[in-house]
Amino acid sequence: MKGAAGRLLPEAWLGLLFLYFFVPLLATGAFSLWEGGSRYGFAAYVALFHQPKLWQSLFLSVRLAVETILLGLIVLVPAVFWLNLRVPRLRPVFDFISVLPFVVPPIALVAGMTALYTGPDWLVGTPNYLVIPYVILALPYTYRALDLGMRVLDLRTMTEASQSLGAGWGTLIFRVVVPNLTTALVGAALLTIAIVMGEFTFANILLFNTFAVYINYVGQTSATQASALTLLSFLITWLAMLGVLVSGRGGRSVQIGGAR
Amino acid sequence: MPHLDIDGAVKRYGGKTVLHGIDLALGQGEFVSLLGPSGCGKTTLLRIVAGFELPDGGRVVLAGNDITDLPAARRNMGMVFQAYSLFPNMTAEENVRFGLKVRRETPAAQQARAAELLALVGLAEHARKYPHQLSGGQQQRVALARALAIRPALLLLDEPLSALDAKVRVQLRDEIRRIQQETGVTTLFVTHDQEEALSISDRVVVMQEGRIAQAGTPAEIYGEPANIFVARFVGAAAELRGRVRDAEAGLVELCGRVVPAARARGLATGAAVHVLLRPETVRLGPPGAAEALLEGVVASRVFFGALTSIRIEVDGGFSLAAAMPSAEAGAVAQGSRVSLWWDGEAPRVLAAE
Repeated sequence: MKGAAGRLLPEAWLGLLFLYFFVPLLATGAFSLWEGGSRYGFAAYVALFHQPKLWQSLFLSVRLAVETILLGLIVLVPAVFWLNLRVPRLRPVFDFISVLPFVVPPIALVAGMTALYTGPDWLVGTPNYLVIPYVILALPYTYRALDLGMRVLDLRTMTEASQSLGAGWGTLIFRVVVPNLTTALVGAALLTIAIVMGEFTFANILLFNTFAVYINYVGQTSATQASALTLLSFLITWLAMLGVLVSGRGGRSVQIGGAR
Repeated sequence: MPHLDIDGAVKRYGGKTVLHGIDLALGQGEFVSLLGPSGCGKTTLLRIVAGFELPDGGRVVLAGNDITDLPAARRNMGMVFQAYSLFPNMTAEENVRFGLKVRRETPAAQQARAAELLALVGLAEHARKYPHQLSGGQQQRVALARALAIRPALLLLDEPLSALDAKVRVQLRDEIRRIQQETGVTTLFVTHDQEEALSISDRVVVMQEGRIAQAGTPAEIYGEPANIFVARFVGAAAELRGRVRDAEAGLVELCGRVVPAARARGLATGAAVHVLLRPETVRLGPPGAAEALLEGVVASRVFFGALTSIRIEVDGGFSLAAAMPSAEAGAVAQGSRVSLWWDGEAPRVLAAE
């Protein structure tokens, strides 16, 4: 009896957790299907999907996410590589910098960016400007993922082994380091997507119509469409997180053993 | 002309000098071990030869070319590391082919060479396995094959056996020597394990605090240690303090007894000396034996399989070990009195500092 009760307890907790997380989503989903009175249907979704602004904002956010991933990796892969290889004593400094985005509120960052609103036209007058704060926002996650991946790799031995075999830095990075960091790179990229797709403060204050800003706008004009959009954004974020989990599981064999 | 010539290599870290002008030359096809305790500078010297560290003074000359400032990637040296260094994303074969790919050899040539090397290290059937599917010993064999695949001008081994268990160590040690002799590659081997160094090398270089304490054949290092450090570091030896009684006759005074030690010749009569006795040179017999030089009591016996080590508290306050075949050691009971003697040529006599 005691054993049976012991087995039931975790299941009960899981049930409660399920209710806690899914009841609001189910309610949101039900509300998004409400068409007034006692009618239910997909009117909100149809109306939403017919709005060009939705797709424009979605594509803009996806584009910004891709640009953020690229810039983040271009800056951080060599930096974290160098940190692990040559200046491990600077790790506390890197760790400190990497958590700054948690400490400095986005509103302070955006105020600073507005004050520095100068630069070439292709950057400042366009949504591309958002990539800079987005790289900073994603920094803690990208840095952690890359640092962990490189620490597991024993970078110094790998570097020296490949150099002794005649490889230059390019061969070392593209044939040895990057292929062994697949998990870390995919993880960093998907976390960045999740962050960029949901970022509101910067885009709203700098007056760019990203996906999150559009959700907010719709929320003020049509409640059911806003619910539909919320579910959609949840879906995107979840897919990204699922990707992190799946790549992490598959990637363990890449990290320790190798691609199959 | 030596194949590798290290000429006055100096290395400093901060204010600390870790290599004090090392001179060392390796002949073509020679297997030389750098032996010493942690921090003696042996790995630093190897890394200077490999190009991973730049010396603060001196030169490294390989086959007549000064390579002191040449980047590691252009030195054409194969290296096996202490840590497992195979690339995890590549199979054993791909690892072996890596250096050849970098050299832009044709895929057919790469494949043939990789097959040849994997067969040489006895892993032909494991070519398609990833490093995580191989044991530690197998990984180091692949690393050896990878280092040899590029036909290196010099093979560098940085304690490649130290992460392996005892049995695999011995197997791989013997195999490294066999492969080195088959390929004829000049090899510099770093180890802190004297047994490894003595068993595998043409020449052993014992290092102490950034200097070469002694360089010589394994037999010279073992039998003729140049100083007390080498004697203590290489092999076990009882260290007895004595005084030269008669230099010309080769007699020293130990524990109040005058005993023969031929190598005391050439030292000054009356000089304080260390007399070093290897356990295998000490003979034991019943008390009062005709040959007896000293007497003592058996303090302990340790069984090592073929040999048994017997520790004797010698009358006069010294303790020394004798090694004898286990089959004969049964007659020597713990606590019994024994007499000891040795051949007059056996003890190494070093002037006390």
